[in-house]
Amino acid sequence: MNYVRKLLLARELAAGLGILRRAAPRRDFPQLQGLICAQCFRAVPARSIQSSAIRARAELTSSAKSGKEEESRSGALMPFQELFEGDRKGDKDKASFTRAVEIFCQRDIRRRGHVEFIYAALKKMPEYGLERDLEVYNKILDVFPKEVFVPRNFIQKIFTHYPRQQECALHVLQQMEDNGVTPNYQTKFLLLQIFGEKSRAIRKYWRIMYWFPKLKHANPYPVPDPLPQDPIDLARFTLQRIAADLSAKVTVYQMALTDITDAGKEITQPHIVGIQSPDQQDLLAHHNPDRPVFVEGPFRLWLKKTCVYYYILRGDPLPPEEREDVIDPERNFYCPLSLDLDLDQGIWDDEEFDVDEVVEGPIFAICMAGAGDQNTLAKWILGLQHTNPVLSQVPVVFQLTPGPDELPLATDSENGEEEIPQSQHAKQEL
Amino acid sequence: MIRGDQHSCCPIGEVPKRRGLHIKVFPYPEISKDELEEINQFVGPVEKFFNEEVDSKKIDQEAKIPPETLKGLKSLGLFGMQIPEEYGGLGLSNTMYARLGEITSLDGSIAVTLAAHQAIGLKGILIAGTEEQKAKYLPRLASGEHIAAFCLTEPGSGSDAASIQTRATMSEDGKSFLLNGSKVWISNGGLADIFTVFAKTQVVDKDGAKKDKITAFIVERAFGGVTNGKPEDKLGIRGSNTCEVHFENTKVPVENVIGEVGGGFKVAMNILNSGRFSMGSGAAGMIKKLIGSEYGFKKKQFNKKLCDFGLIQEKFTLMAQKAYVMESMAYLTAGMMDRPGEPDCSVEAAMVKIFSSEGAWTCVSEALQVLGGLGYMKDYPYERYLRDSRILMIFEGTNEILRMYVALTGMQYAGKILTEKIKDIKKGGVGTALQMLASKLRDSVGRKVDLGLVGEGGVTHCSLEESAKKLEENIYYFGITVEGLLRRFGKTIVDEQLILKRVADTVINLYGMTATISRASRSISIGLHNHDHEVLLTNIFCTEAYFKNNYTMTQLEKYADENLDDSIKKVAQQVLEKRAYLCSHPLDRTF
Repeated sequence: MNYVRKLLLARELAAGLGILRRAAPRRDFPQLQGLICAQCFRAVPARSIQSSAIRARAELTSSAKSGKEEESRSGALMPFQELFEGDRKGDKDKASFTRAVEIFCQRDIRRRGHVEFIYAALKKMPEYGLERDLEVYNKILDVFPKEVFVPRNFIQKIFTHYPRQQECALHVLQQMEDNGVTPNYQTKFLLLQIFGEKSRAIRKYWRIMYWFPKLKHANPYPVPDPLPQDPIDLARFTLQRIAADLSAKVTVYQMALTDITDAGKEITQPHIVGIQSPDQQDLLAHHNPDRPVFVEGPFRLWLKKTCVYYYILRGDPLPPEEREDVIDPERNFYCPLSLDLDLDQGIWDDEEFDVDEVVEGPIFAICMAGAGDQNTLAKWILGLQHTNPVLSQVPVVFQLTPGPDELPLATDSENGEEEIPQSQHAKQEL
Repeated sequence: MIRGDQHSCCPIGEVPKRRGLHIKVFPYPEISKDELEEINQFVGPVEKFFNEEVDSKKIDQEAKIPPETLKGLKSLGLFGMQIPEEYGGLGLSNTMYARLGEITSLDGSIAVTLAAHQAIGLKGILIAGTEEQKAKYLPRLASGEHIAAFCLTEPGSGSDAASIQTRATMSEDGKSFLLNGSKVWISNGGLADIFTVFAKTQVVDKDGAKKDKITAFIVERAFGGVTNGKPEDKLGIRGSNTCEVHFENTKVPVENVIGEVGGGFKVAMNILNSGRFSMGSGAAGMIKKLIGSEYGFKKKQFNKKLCDFGLIQEKFTLMAQKAYVMESMAYLTAGMMDRPGEPDCSVEAAMVKIFSSEGAWTCVSEALQVLGGLGYMKDYPYERYLRDSRILMIFEGTNEILRMYVALTGMQYAGKILTEKIKDIKKGGVGTALQMLASKLRDSVGRKVDLGLVGEGGVTHCSLEESAKKLEENIYYFGITVEGLLRRFGKTIVDEQLILKRVADTVINLYGMTATISRASRSISIGLHNHDHEVLLTNIFCTEAYFKNNYTMTQLEKYADENLDDSIKKVAQQVLEKRAYLCSHPLDRTF
């Protein structure tokens, strides 16, 4: 919205003042000659910065108009683009960003156009990958001139003094908040110096400082940031997260491998990482070999913006006859395990909730693999046999849904199939 | 029957129960003068032996009992104290066995070796063996030529009978069993020649179904296939030999089955329940020795002897009081067991074991504390006593599981009696509701409980009137509490361990109070030496126990503020989920 307003204002002023401006000669200052910048600033007598900003904008548009029209329009919307074009080498990192900010600060003692500059910088930060960096935010806030915007009398205090600057600072703080960056004491001192106490910016700062520490540990199962890149590490983390059992052990059954045999043929081997806890091992050991176990998958799990797929080995729930409920009186050498009384728990004393539990079969193991085909998962089952010898006797049924990798292949082959009869048709026609 | 005293613990205030209380517990069991002289004749030489020829420090350091000491013990007949005289043993009654236990406990390793041999190792043959088995094995066990051991515990099975892995399979000719398996932490495992082994056998049910049941076997080392591991390096009782025992295709003849095939569970339970009471007298003997330390008089600080300071005096009082209660409880139980008719005193024995083991640990700790730094040094025996007494809380049934046993057995008994009454209340008849209301009103106003202990025709001496009144009041309110618990929980109380623990603690205190009042009453009546000191000790213990019981019973009320069980369970669940201490470090920051 701000941009639209700026553009309209700029056009109005340009219409009126552009002619006057063009008439006057432009003077370049020697220190600016080294810079490639479309906008050049004239030394004007000291005035309130707001009007100079408007003038700067007008100059912007007017100078741009002398050049290319479309680019000038985009130039008005995205000022200071050249500053942020990065090093000559082309890599965008913190050093070049901070240099760009410093250049702007040193350029003009009055920091004309600082609001647009800050907005532009905020927009550019994701490209440089700096949106989580507190130092950079502090540097951006440093662009504001100090002590100018602090209200000095009670009328200034009632009405938001320098609303545009305050809003700009609020946008900076908002971007900090959106990216989860906790401001520090330096931010506070900067904001106090720039806007004084009781300003909207400093109030937003205090609100961030109230909520962020409180909510920092709100997530009982946080996902590390950044996620591990190595697929085996990622698999290890995901499986431990799914299994949620501290005694569960992660085993890497196969590492990812690309090999070129002597014949020149390429063999790729996907990684297989599995997890199983001692409880699951016990359940599997007690599984009746007459009943099958099922390998199902892939199931999706989203970790922030990454989607991972896992496969499970499960069994069917036991039919009601086989569930053991009877307590043997000769079970415990030292004390009775059950009382032979006709008394039940009082109705008023039953504080358990009536939970309707769905009867599910046991899940014996979970795995994540680079490829979801039956051969890879069969290798997983073979690996599991080392610790669960009963698997060699139990029939294993693979119930795999087509994973994300296989879907495009399916459509291709479909097209292929469709094409073949068409070409045959064509041949026949011919 | 034994519920004679159980009645004191789960009373409903009904008249027949009161009478039962009196018959069993009052007066304190006595032995005749002849028996007393006989036992004192035994006591003399044994005490002399222990004071002169047993070097406890050396036994502890070398982790071995020297063969000369073992020979001395054998010649004194201490290896067959409870074996009947016809088989060559001393044929002592339970009371006399407890008396001798006071002396043997002066050295922990020797006490445990003897206990493992006779209290559990050969008890199976004694209680459940056939005449042939007794005639074959008991003579040599009594003389000490063969030592016995009790093999029940396995790496995966402490109290769980279903997880026993040792198997005994019947041979084709049906004349012997092949035993395969391994047992762990067997006392006397390296020295023993006769083992009482518990293994799983396949038994055909009366329905025809095949089941695995436990059977008890007498296994001789001579049968072959019996090997033992190296002796374990322990914290205390280092002289006692504890090791793993492995059985590999050991051939056991069918005649060596104790009881019947598949009946091993009952045999195991009976053996375990019968040996516990002697821990009371043993611990009391040890504490009595520690009270006699002269350090309090020798050491002076600020021109005052140590024993003139209040805190030190408190420690000695604690030791004297605990020793008195332990003795009373142990000999009361032994006396009840000695009565004709083989009463089942397993609950009382368990209570004695719990109280004595914990009492011994605290008292030895306090005795060590009196000596301060010196008590910590190996030159003095206190640290050895401390290490030896730590095992008391663990073996012969850990205190936790025995508390459950005491509480559950009591609940079972009380439940049988109270079922009808509770069902009436739950049905909510107007009559019963009014009765309950009236009862509650009278309780809140201050009911006078009279179980017949004091006053006209009372069984206790009038000097103990206050203590006896406190006991009566506690019993009455305990009965009400138990009724309330059964009403609230019914059968499901099995899972409420924190509640059962409180019930057990109350019962143990009540039993202690009963025993001390009974004994002190007898002492005054006959005019034993220092009977007024006994009255003092009884009154102190009874008052303390009275207030502790009241607090415990308040905690057992529904929605009591003093009851923190829910919070405890919540914290435990959170800590165990993460298996770590959860709080952030005090120095952590969030920003």
